[in-house]
Amino acid sequence: MIKNPFRNRTRATLAIIGIAIGIATIVALGMVTGGLQSSTQSTLKAGSAEITVTKIGNFGSSGGVMDESMVTDLKNTNGVKDTAGILRINSNVSTSSGGSGFGSMGGFLVNGIDSSKLALVGINSVNGTIFTNGSSNEIIIGKTVAQNLNKTVGSKIDIYGTEFEVTGIFESGNFIYDIGVFTSLSTLQNLTNNTGKVSYIQVKVNDNANASQVSKTIQDERPNDLSATTAVDQANRINQSLGMIDTASWAISLLAIVIGGVGVINTMIMSVFERTREIGVLKAVGWKDRRILGMILGESIVLTLVAAVVGIILGIVAVEIIFKFFITSQSFEAVLTMDTLLKAFGVALLVGIVGGLYPAYRASRLAPTEALRYE
Amino acid sequence: MTEENVIEIHNLQKTYDKGKIKALNGIDLEIKKGEFISIMGPSGSGKSTLLNMIGALDRAEEGTIKVAGIDLMKTRDLSEFRSQEIGFVFQMHNLIPNLSVLENVEIPMYETRVKSEEMRRRALELLEAVGLKDKADKNPTKLSGGERQRVAIARALVNHPSIILADEPTGALDSKTGDVILNLLKSLHSKKQVTLVMVTHEPYVAEMADRILHVLDGKINNSS
Ligand SMILES: Nc1ncnc2c1ncn2[C@@H]1O[C@H](COP(=O)(O)OP(=O)(O)OP(=O)(O)O)[C@@H](O)[C@H]1O
Ligand SMILES: [Mg+2]
Repeated sequence: MIKNPFRNRTRATLAIIGIAIGIATIVALGMVTGGLQSSTQSTLKAGSAEITVTKIGNFGSSGGVMDESMVTDLKNTNGVKDTAGILRINSNVSTSSGGSGFGSMGGFLVNGIDSSKLALVGINSVNGTIFTNGSSNEIIIGKTVAQNLNKTVGSKIDIYGTEFEVTGIFESGNFIYDIGVFTSLSTLQNLTNNTGKVSYIQVKVNDNANASQVSKTIQDERPNDLSATTAVDQANRINQSLGMIDTASWAISLLAIVIGGVGVINTMIMSVFERTREIGVLKAVGWKDRRILGMILGESIVLTLVAAVVGIILGIVAVEIIFKFFITSQSFEAVLTMDTLLKAFGVALLVGIVGGLYPAYRASRLAPTEALRYE
Repeated sequence: MTEENVIEIHNLQKTYDKGKIKALNGIDLEIKKGEFISIMGPSGSGKSTLLNMIGALDRAEEGTIKVAGIDLMKTRDLSEFRSQEIGFVFQMHNLIPNLSVLENVEIPMYETRVKSEEMRRRALELLEAVGLKDKADKNPTKLSGGERQRVAIARALVNHPSIILADEPTGALDSKTGDVILNLLKSLHSKKQVTLVMVTHEPYVAEMADRILHVLDGKINNSS
């Protein structure tokens, strides 16, 4: 009976494509939100800084835009425990091995930081050893970079024509850092002609201090110059946009249900219509109305579940293509969560039931003699 | 109701088109258990309608009809009755095209508690009885008309019904193939001691039965 929905190929294919597109959209949006979510969840980590201080107008927080003296300045602010200046360079590093898959295009973020301040950016443990401060060309790389560039401890990486040796691989839990590399601040400053400059400052507050309070103080003391955001603020902001994407995703789901549902109703009504006589035969051999209802409903669900599988594959492929060719910054990875999968199948199931119910009811209520007279 | 009467009908009336067409106009009929009955009569006289009433495919408006001890006027859900007591053989378009021959014979057993291996065994046994065991996995569309009718007969018998209702089972077949089907029906009827009620237009076919009923204008014509 499984084959029944596919007896009319063209019609079944059209219905499947319609639903699959809806499902694909749900999956694609789900993967994007899933990726953003998993990256925000990890930004708050024990030991890491609560406040990020950037120069107003420097949106990407890269390049040497801030005087390094500010790092000590900020440390003297009330409630601040420690500060770390970070120089971030957007590097288009060419490597011999190249790379493939998500986040491998363009380059990666090269960060300079004092090796004693790594905890402030959430790097607590390194597989290997930390680079030494000073001029030695040592570097630690995020696990994403390690995977994408196929590097291990002892490998060499070329940055601005200088060869660096990988001494360690870290996993900070923060995607921004995991797709980057860290080296000594002074080394990077010299290499990029940014002596005495940093891109932004990470601020850790005292245990008893209020991060938002401190953040406000820092900003108020230097109006029109610095902007300070707490990690909580950041997470909230991202969560807000996540919420919007989520709403959009539900709206699209609803649309998929309506459009897909109409398609399924149409497909199944036609299918029942064409099989009127067969349904008459089934009734004549003693099938109960309930079984006929179940059969048609089951067919409708099979149809939409096939559409779900097609849609999920379509969605994953679409996201993969978009990330490969259109998203050039390595800002985050798309993540396919169980939630997204369940939602996709849930929506498909719902469409199958909603769209199949009426045709199934009609089939079950056919008068057997009428059905058998039908040619 | 007499013990040996498997069908008892009194003054049965059935109309179509809101009473405009009197398809059955007071049928009185008793059929004994194990009888082979032929029904003859002109087109539109009500033969199929009568058969559908006996098989509980439709309900009459007036009269009484008891089949296999069940009052068809009073029983609400008749699907179980159809599954247990009746085996239908129609003129054509009998089989489900995208199921195999074997599955077609199995479908009446879906509403019973029969396990799937037992379903298979019983279906194969009947396919053997109608000489089609080797075609069990074929698609019915690949079968000849006579073979399809034999599959339909196997399907009609699979739930061990007390009555086989055959509405012009040879009507779409050439006379040679038709004879094979008739002989099969007749031999299964006597072997399984099942009551057989068959509508036919062919007098020589009707002659094979124990008794011939003539239907005219929705009534049984006893004069013949
Ligand atoms: N579902 C229906 N709706 C309306 N009229 C019907 C219906 N079924 C049967 N009739 C009418 O009832 C009458 C009896 O029909 P029935 O099919 O029982 O005749 P029949 O004796 O089987 O004829 P045939 O030999 O042509 O098969 C006919 O006039 C037919 O047109
Ligand atoms: Mg007829």
